[in-house]
Amino acid sequence: MQNIEMIRMQINYLVTQSRYDINTLSTMSDTSVNQQILQRLWDALSTIHFLTEWLVNQEKASYHILPSQLSAPVPSWNLNQGQIPSITPLPNTPISQSNQRTFTIGELAKFNGKNGRPAYVAVNGIVYDVTTNRAWAAATHFGLIAGKDYSQEFASCHDGKQSILATIPIVGRLV
Amino acid sequence: MKGQILVPKSLTNEAIAERLTSTALKNIKKGIIKKKPLIYLELNGCSGNIISLLNGQNPDFEYTLNSMVDLCYCNSLMAAEGDRAIEKLIKAMNEEFILAVEGAVALKNNGLYNIIGSWQGKPLTGLHAAKMLGERASHILAVGACATHGGVSAAKPNPSQSVGLQQVLPDKNMIKLPGCPVHPDWFLGTLAHLLLYGEPETDNLNRPLMFYSTIIHDRCPRRPFFDRGIFAEKLGDQTCLFKLGCRGPVTRVDCPTRQWNGHVNWPIGDNTPCIGCAQFGFPDAMAPFISYDTTRVVKNE
Ligand code: HEM
Ligand code: SF4
Repeated sequence: MQNIEMIRMQINYLVTQSRYDINTLSTMSDTSVNQQILQRLWDALSTIHFLTEWLVNQEKASYHILPSQLSAPVPSWNLNQGQIPSITPLPNTPISQSNQRTFTIGELAKFNGKNGRPAYVAVNGIVYDVTTNRAWAAATHFGLIAGKDYSQEFASCHDGKQSILATIPIVGRLV
Repeated sequence: MKGQILVPKSLTNEAIAERLTSTALKNIKKGIIKKKPLIYLELNGCSGNIISLLNGQNPDFEYTLNSMVDLCYCNSLMAAEGDRAIEKLIKAMNEEFILAVEGAVALKNNGLYNIIGSWQGKPLTGLHAAKMLGERASHILAVGACATHGGVSAAKPNPSQSVGLQQVLPDKNMIKLPGCPVHPDWFLGTLAHLLLYGEPETDNLNRPLMFYSTIIHDRCPRRPFFDRGIFAEKLGDQTCLFKLGCRGPVTRVDCPTRQWNGHVNWPIGDNTPCIGCAQFGFPDAMAPFISYDTTRVVKNE
């Protein structure tokens, strides 16, 4: 019950924020700011959608356990009953001490994202964790597979841009 | 901006496309803008774009092509065939025209891997036609993955040595509409914009910003699942498809809000990952399209 109350508060908060955003939008004329507000509105709407879906799934799971419904597949994300998973921390929040680990190229190869393992790639001697990096879906990125040293590829494809690397968590060094 | 946000006018994609095209038609009728000749060239490809365009709405493709432009040549849709068709193509070339090209340019053996007809008793290669028409066109639209960057035609091992249109016309400006296939709105909307207001604003890769400015991932209804690390393990799961290899995070286009087949659904809405068909380098750069081995844990592998 306490959970449901918290979700309600979250939804109420998002609705308030959206009303405020709509109000701001109707008075602002700066397109770049408007773009950001529209993105926030969109995100709020998606989150409200997510939360209501979750509520409905909770309701179904806890109150109507009819034999016919038991056989229906329950979405796997609903299995950790009662807890709404939190949003994963942004990558540039301080990383744990374990980022001092060293990898040989052979060890790095194991972290190819397969079989539930994390996905790591090395650039200029530093090993980065791309497991949940949006651009590395299924541990692959423009024909590259995780678990290797891509210093050259990074230099040629991304002009060695540090701003990209700065967004990826570091797990250690390549030796 | 004030008036644009809370006006009672419908702001759905259909409504906007409808307004754009009907304004173009109205102005053509009033004689404010002129119907322009259009040459639609099909080179090395699968004709998928023309098929997709036939699915256009508001207005439909036929109406667009009859009322907004003079379609001078299109090998899939014209009545003339053989020499007569090529005669029409050559004749149209002497006046101002808009050129739309779908399919890649096959370079191998001086273009002999893609022959689109015969002219003066000799085979007319796609390569020759692309250069000849491209040099003279007032505007060029590269339509679909193959024309914009080689696409499927240029996928490894690329036996016909196919390339995108720009490669054989390096100095020409062209509007690029990647996608496999192109969405009818992307093509018809760009064409209507061209007639009404001139060339639309484009990004540094020459894609019209009105269609290609947002990353799919930023407008995806499954984004809350991504942000919470809840991932689908198989096709059909209703959560984020990232672990299966979703290319939505590297693909810039408006599928989540526009949707397909008459604006009813789109791949992610049907529980299958985005394969990045509108990203440059598709399909090779977007492979593999589906992976199950990221989430499936096999003991003693
Ligand atoms: C074959 C070489 C590569 C190519 C062709 C390539 C291509 C791209 C492209 C086109 C994007 C932008 C997608 C968009 O926002 O529109 C991108 C983003 C990204 N790439 Fe690469 N890439 C390559 C190598 C690498 C390597 C080696 C890394 C390793 C760290 C990497 C990490 C990233 C990251 C983190 C992003 C997201 C950037 C952001 O948040 O804006 N890429 N890549
Ligand atoms: S399904 Fe694809 S586009 Fe949607 S949130 Fe997940 S990774 Fe992003």
